[in-house]
Amino acid sequence: MSIFQRIFFSRTKKENELFLPLPCVELTNDRATFPTLQHTLDNFINCCDFVHRTLPEINVDLVYFGHLLGNDEFMRDIATPFANIQANEVGQLLQRSQYHQILDSKSLIKGILDGEVAIFHKENVYLINAYKPDSRTVQQSETESVITGPHDSFLETAAINLSLIRRRVKSSHLKVLKLEVGEVTKSDVYILYIDGIVNMEYVNELVKRIKSIEIDAVHDGNMLVQYIDDCPNSLFPLFPASERTDSAVSRLVAGRVLAILDGSPSVISAPASFFEFFSSPDDYYQRWALGTATRALRFIAFLVTVTFTSLYVSVTTYHYEMIPETLLLTITESRSRVPFPPIYEALLMEIMIELLREAGARLPTKIGQTIGIVGGIVIGQAAVQAGFTSNILIIAVASSAIASFVIPSYIMSASIRLIRFGLIILAGTLGNLGLMMGIALIIIHLSGLTSLNTSYLTPISPMNFKDWRDVFVRAPFWALKERPSQSRSPNLIRNKMKK
Amino acid sequence: MKKVKERLAPFHITILIFMIQTGVVIFSLPRLLAQNFGYNGWLAIVIFTCISTFNIFLISLVHRLGKGISIFDILENSLPKFVAYTIYFVMISIWSMLGCIVAKQYVIVFQMIAFPTTHPMFFKALVDIIAYLLITKGIYNISKAATSFFWIVIWMVLLLTFFIHDFEWGNLTPYLFKGSTSFLKGGLDCYTAFLGYEIALLLIPFAENHKKFIKAVHIGNLITAITYLLVCFVCFGFFSFGQLTRLKYPLLDLLSFIKLPFIERLENLLYGFFLFTMLITIVMYCWSAIETLQRILPKVKANWLTVFVLGTTFLIAWIPDVIGKVEKWLQFLGYAEACVAFGLPTLILIILRIRKGH
Repeated sequence: MSIFQRIFFSRTKKENELFLPLPCVELTNDRATFPTLQHTLDNFINCCDFVHRTLPEINVDLVYFGHLLGNDEFMRDIATPFANIQANEVGQLLQRSQYHQILDSKSLIKGILDGEVAIFHKENVYLINAYKPDSRTVQQSETESVITGPHDSFLETAAINLSLIRRRVKSSHLKVLKLEVGEVTKSDVYILYIDGIVNMEYVNELVKRIKSIEIDAVHDGNMLVQYIDDCPNSLFPLFPASERTDSAVSRLVAGRVLAILDGSPSVISAPASFFEFFSSPDDYYQRWALGTATRALRFIAFLVTVTFTSLYVSVTTYHYEMIPETLLLTITESRSRVPFPPIYEALLMEIMIELLREAGARLPTKIGQTIGIVGGIVIGQAAVQAGFTSNILIIAVASSAIASFVIPSYIMSASIRLIRFGLIILAGTLGNLGLMMGIALIIIHLSGLTSLNTSYLTPISPMNFKDWRDVFVRAPFWALKERPSQSRSPNLIRNKMKK
Repeated sequence: MKKVKERLAPFHITILIFMIQTGVVIFSLPRLLAQNFGYNGWLAIVIFTCISTFNIFLISLVHRLGKGISIFDILENSLPKFVAYTIYFVMISIWSMLGCIVAKQYVIVFQMIAFPTTHPMFFKALVDIIAYLLITKGIYNISKAATSFFWIVIWMVLLLTFFIHDFEWGNLTPYLFKGSTSFLKGGLDCYTAFLGYEIALLLIPFAENHKKFIKAVHIGNLITAITYLLVCFVCFGFFSFGQLTRLKYPLLDLLSFIKLPFIERLENLLYGFFLFTMLITIVMYCWSAIETLQRILPKVKANWLTVFVLGTTFLIAWIPDVIGKVEKWLQFLGYAEACVAFGLPTLILIILRIRKGH
């Protein structure tokens, strides 16, 4: 059976596979692959979590992984029915639609691994879905918190993530395809799109890319992205990954394709543009003028984080004439005790800030706060007093670091912080020209990037002024009538869905 | 999924033309106008705009009669290979050297104002590396980068509002084109500031919308003209005529007067911003040279041709070692390019006319 068939034609009709085309049970007469109890037990030898129950009075054997099953499901569909029947009634019971007869060993093994219970009765084998593993409850996202708007976020369980989306998109047009990645882990990947809004070329391309992944395991959505994006060597994320349900749904409605990896709370969307990483769902929950101001603030933050420290280095190293006389006295006095050139001073402090950030992220929240205080205040103050660095640089580096955290996407923010180091080095060696060269290099790199074969710099190039209303500003809703041009949606108008 | 077929949209052609035209001459243009056209020389820009518009009209005829076919195909189908290749050789030499010398002048000015002890060829090498990275990405990505660069530099026009207070209407005087003038030779020097639109000849096959193609080139040329007009008008009103004729780079001097509460003498930083326009000028001339060279050597990879063109011109760029020599080279290359700008479309029009007659 080809991969295509395996993905689109499921052999078992699980409840959560309601999105697939009609299931196709492959009937085979190949006795070599016919499932037997012994063969199944042999497969799971040395798996202490594997359960084998025998019911000799009715000639039934049950095999399953107990921790993958829900108690209620197990009681309702297996324990209770089999406890209350006679041996001659088993065949009749197994005719019910929830029991699926399996004719090949491979499907049986896969079914058991997917959380189904295998029932051996005489020579026949059946699977029944009782999958309901434990998972944490729906909580607020820690990486993408918002002040106003929905607070629920995705979890590690794909079924819950799907339900969170289904709850918001009550439409039969919301389609879900199921794929599989990881030769060993066999993780499920769900592709979501809204039929009639999405450009099917994107769906096909994404499916093609996911199917072409050859790796033993994929653990997270952000890891999956790196296997499927257009330029894996780029520093910039090409597909946004979000934990927020409202963000995912808004992208879905905008004509994007979503990918949910089972085991990861990060939901990927594609295609995307560079500027999309600067918008947050709560821009739409505020009045449009506030949303626009917040968005403008993020772009200013981007400029500050990229150029502020490097401009400081450039000016204090080569272009002192740019500093007004009054400020020059303060800077000179501040720098007079520092024995290093500004580039070393800046790199030292930037690395220090990164150390603090990394330490804060790894430690428990309370200790993380202490680290922030110790690092930010104590070390910062001590460094100035010891003559390691100047006050002004501390301000520049701190502003730059704070500005980097204004960017809503953590991955984008991390990429930009790394780029900053390159710019500082260029500014420290070539002054303002180096800074401009660095910016030119970044833009040249961005110009060459594509996201799912569409320009990453949309809507600047290719230029589309209409899109600017929802990228650089957050226009009033009456002005946001069209979906983004990057979606190339067959249904571009947002407010004409009712036919 | 097939990659989205990218074509140059009219907007991108407009931006590209503007970015190619805006080069190093803008720094000295007010002086050149003052020296060669006398009082109120800034008005000569209107004359140059008319000339460049006529030249674009010639290109539009090539576009219309050639029906969107590449000029290389027209030349190769009508001329003996030897003649066509000789023309190509001339074009390659002029375009590649023009790109190279523009870069050299840009870095040598920067070296003068900020890094007097560093060899300018070091900066030139860095600019060439950036140019290489952009050229090898192809014309569509060059146009994308040009559009981003455009938004980074165009805001600088607003800086001219800083001079409203210090603008002296008296400096403009009631005289028009009076003083020691040199309309012909000086005019040619000034006209080099407008060159760059002729590259549109090579963009014809890449255009998305052939109907709007020429319109886009005209708009690009017009934006350049308006920018020049604004800059020169402010320079003529801000500086006295005598100052203007003596200042080497009036635009840089003008920018040095900008003062903000926390930063001043911005000319250094703003000169850095001109790297973006310069880069597109350099890249597009080199790209044109490489496109032409590819017609002679179709089997050689474009990347290697880029290395060859940039490498060769880099070596030649060692020869003019002082700013005076660089400017002289740029002047002569500007003359040659002006000949190409008028000569090439004229030649193609003659060929198309003869072919039509046959």
